[in-house]
Amino acid sequence: MLRYVALKVGRALFVVWAAFTVSFVLLFVLPADPVDLLFDPAEVNTIPPEVREQVAANYGFDDPVLVQYADRLWHAARLDFGTSVQSGRPVTEAILGVLPATLVLAAGALALAVVIAFVIALVATATEARWLRDLVEALPSAAVSIPVFLSGILVLQVFSFQLGWFPAFGDEGWRSLVLPLVTLAIPVSGPIAQLLVRSFATELRSGYVTTSWAKGAERSQIIVGDVFRNAALPALTIAGVTFGNLIAGSVITETVFARKGIGRMTQTAINTLDVPLVQGIVVLVAVCFALINLAVDLVYPLLDPRLRATLADTPARVPA
Amino acid sequence: MSDLRSTIDNAGSRRSKLPWIVGVVVLVLVAGIGWAVASSGGGAAEAAGSGEPVRGGTLEFALIDYQRSPDPQLGTNYAESIIANNVTDKLAWQDPDTGEITPWLAESWEVNDDLTAFTFHLRDDVTFSDGTPFDAEVVKANFDQYIQGDPALDINANGAPLFPGYAGTDVVDEHTVTIRFEAPLASALQAVSFTANAGPGFLAPSTLALSAEERTDPTKVIGTGPFVYESWEEQVSTVLVKREGYDWSPPALGHDGEAYLDRIVFNTIPEASVRTGSLVSGTLDATLDVGTTDEQPLEDQGFEIISRGVSGTAIFFNLNASIFPTNDIAVRRAIQLGWNREAVEQTVLTDSYSIATSVLAPSVRGYEDHSQTLRYDADEARRILDEAGWVEGSDGIREKDGRRLEVKLLGINNLVPNKPAYESVQQDLAEIGIDLQLTVVPIPDYTANVANAATEWNVVAANRSRNDPAALTLQYSPANGNGSYLGPDATGVDVDRVTEVLGAIETTLDPDERDAAAAAAQDLLLEEYALVNPIYNPSQVIAHADHVHGIVFDAQSRNHFVDTWKSNGE
Repeated sequence: MLRYVALKVGRALFVVWAAFTVSFVLLFVLPADPVDLLFDPAEVNTIPPEVREQVAANYGFDDPVLVQYADRLWHAARLDFGTSVQSGRPVTEAILGVLPATLVLAAGALALAVVIAFVIALVATATEARWLRDLVEALPSAAVSIPVFLSGILVLQVFSFQLGWFPAFGDEGWRSLVLPLVTLAIPVSGPIAQLLVRSFATELRSGYVTTSWAKGAERSQIIVGDVFRNAALPALTIAGVTFGNLIAGSVITETVFARKGIGRMTQTAINTLDVPLVQGIVVLVAVCFALINLAVDLVYPLLDPRLRATLADTPARVPA
Repeated sequence: MSDLRSTIDNAGSRRSKLPWIVGVVVLVLVAGIGWAVASSGGGAAEAAGSGEPVRGGTLEFALIDYQRSPDPQLGTNYAESIIANNVTDKLAWQDPDTGEITPWLAESWEVNDDLTAFTFHLRDDVTFSDGTPFDAEVVKANFDQYIQGDPALDINANGAPLFPGYAGTDVVDEHTVTIRFEAPLASALQAVSFTANAGPGFLAPSTLALSAEERTDPTKVIGTGPFVYESWEEQVSTVLVKREGYDWSPPALGHDGEAYLDRIVFNTIPEASVRTGSLVSGTLDATLDVGTTDEQPLEDQGFEIISRGVSGTAIFFNLNASIFPTNDIAVRRAIQLGWNREAVEQTVLTDSYSIATSVLAPSVRGYEDHSQTLRYDADEARRILDEAGWVEGSDGIREKDGRRLEVKLLGINNLVPNKPAYESVQQDLAEIGIDLQLTVVPIPDYTANVANAATEWNVVAANRSRNDPAALTLQYSPANGNGSYLGPDATGVDVDRVTEVLGAIETTLDPDERDAAAAAAQDLLLEEYALVNPIYNPSQVIAHADHVHGIVFDAQSRNHFVDTWKSNGE
């Protein structure tokens, strides 16, 4: 068991280190001189050489690549990614400044998506009306097919510009969160709902349900008491996997709703080739993915007795 | 048994779901659009009221960019320069119509004969918003740090491109300073009024002592301007409030005392339809970065569109005179003549923009109309190419000595009309046998490629905003930016003569002599050597509700809000 944990932790660390190194190679050995990017593009040819040297020295861009690598890795290990070239703020501080906004958006959208998915699956399973079931079962596909960009503009048009219920931009507390949440939750709810509809159907077909039917249970009792509980687990698993979906969707959602967040920061950092900031974000995302995977890996044996048994056997096969 | 149950239960689900999906999507779309159309135009119908300015109120302003740092001497995008111009003041004000340099924080000035020393006499009643007096010492401290940088504080030499050859500032007395240069720099007088990228606005001594990182705290960034920072939130908004007791706006503006507005909120809204939608719904009072296709609809709904061409150079095609095939003057002339300006004007541009008639924008002093040279004459272009031995190949593209007439262009996609305008030129040039190959990319990719433009790219397309004919010297002189990459391989071009003719602009402040020098420079660049093919004059476009008055466009087309007011005072 200990070996399993060490293996998984090691893998997580490797992923983060690889992300750092690959981003370093891509960013710092680029054909572009990061110094150029600090000036107006039309003026690049007019920058005096001594100014270039001074700026390069300022950010350490003039050191040999290996020295830069070692230096940045050493600092990164202590969560110091240097300062953003564009704003002068420390990268870690800049990222932590916008991260909560994205986390609230992503977590809220995920929660809402799960609720929507369950409602869809419940209605689809519980209803006796065929037309209603057809309609509801078509919803997940529709949800996935509408681009976030389009649905975002559409809800803004209706609920903000026309009805004036919610603000289109800025921060007015929870009211500012409603439209972005809905927009982001719609596409994320699609796959979860599809899976739920399917597993509800499967569970309904299984033996224990038949037993309940035979005992004379009512449809609603079966759905809530038996099917719901058993179908929920795979749906929660896929909800975890949609993390990537959420991050990608948040870039667009943050742009359309003019919200601050890691998605937009990434986009700007890439657009302005803010090298230290881009690297900080890449490593941070790698850390998130590694942590989520690690958590799943570590929780799995706790949930699945069969895996636990295999792991318990393992040390026996390793010579002491 | 269980299979039977589920078969019965799920009997309906095998039917095609497609009609349902389509139905739902169409329903949602129709409902949304219907709603939008039914009640559009509701917010615009407010009573107009010009006349006596009303004090008070908050201006909700939107733009596409955000301020990445509140440091006014740092930023290069529009949000950054516009906000900087309302928090800080400059030594001089440039009249946007005449280009004349007029007093602001400096009441008067003298320049020595060889244009290397500029002595400014400062107003004595100006203070920073923390109460510190504005004097000669603080001017020196600002220029030293702004032009030379301060590595210990992580401050870059932001002003270096604006003031080449800076030799230092002398404090003559409490309210007199002399700025010195190593070589004649006539444009320095315009530079002290410069309002665009990373401008020379003055910061209090307490701010100058802060590092780049500490200057991201907006409350510590202190200027003398008509507004002071209330808050700054990266990516979201910057809020300014009125400076109490402000009384030194540029005399040329004719505005006395404090700003009329109480507050300005600069909202960053990246998505165009959200900017216009919020304007129409009344959440915003005004927005910059209005798309070309939004201008007419907004006007129809009662909003006012105001704009000003960006002073400086037009969007230029700088022709690389040192590499094949643009080292052939026949090719350069054919590119100037071979595209239909009317087509670009009608299909790409709105009334807010104009087709270029010189490499300088018409609003820059010294501009000369070259529409006779910069005209559409495909027959003449063909004749010139025929004469130079360019023969049409099998695919319609000309050839000479077995090499195709391929012209590689590098451009930026930061302005909406760029790409469509370039594509229009591309189509027309193909008609006369020139294969213009477009690479139009975001700023960082452009900048990365500009590094090897001397040997790789026939055409570099961009513009430069600087309301002074010296923009030509800085952009094209082989001694400065060398925009046409003149070198030993530039056949038929007298490089020393180009250096001399362009350099002459920096050696005189006499208006007539300067106009003559600017005219000579344009003749050389456009007629004699055909080194530039100007396309169109870019513009900054604002749409605002009709209760907004007095938004000022300055000489660089940045905005000032000291004279802005709202007739509803809200």
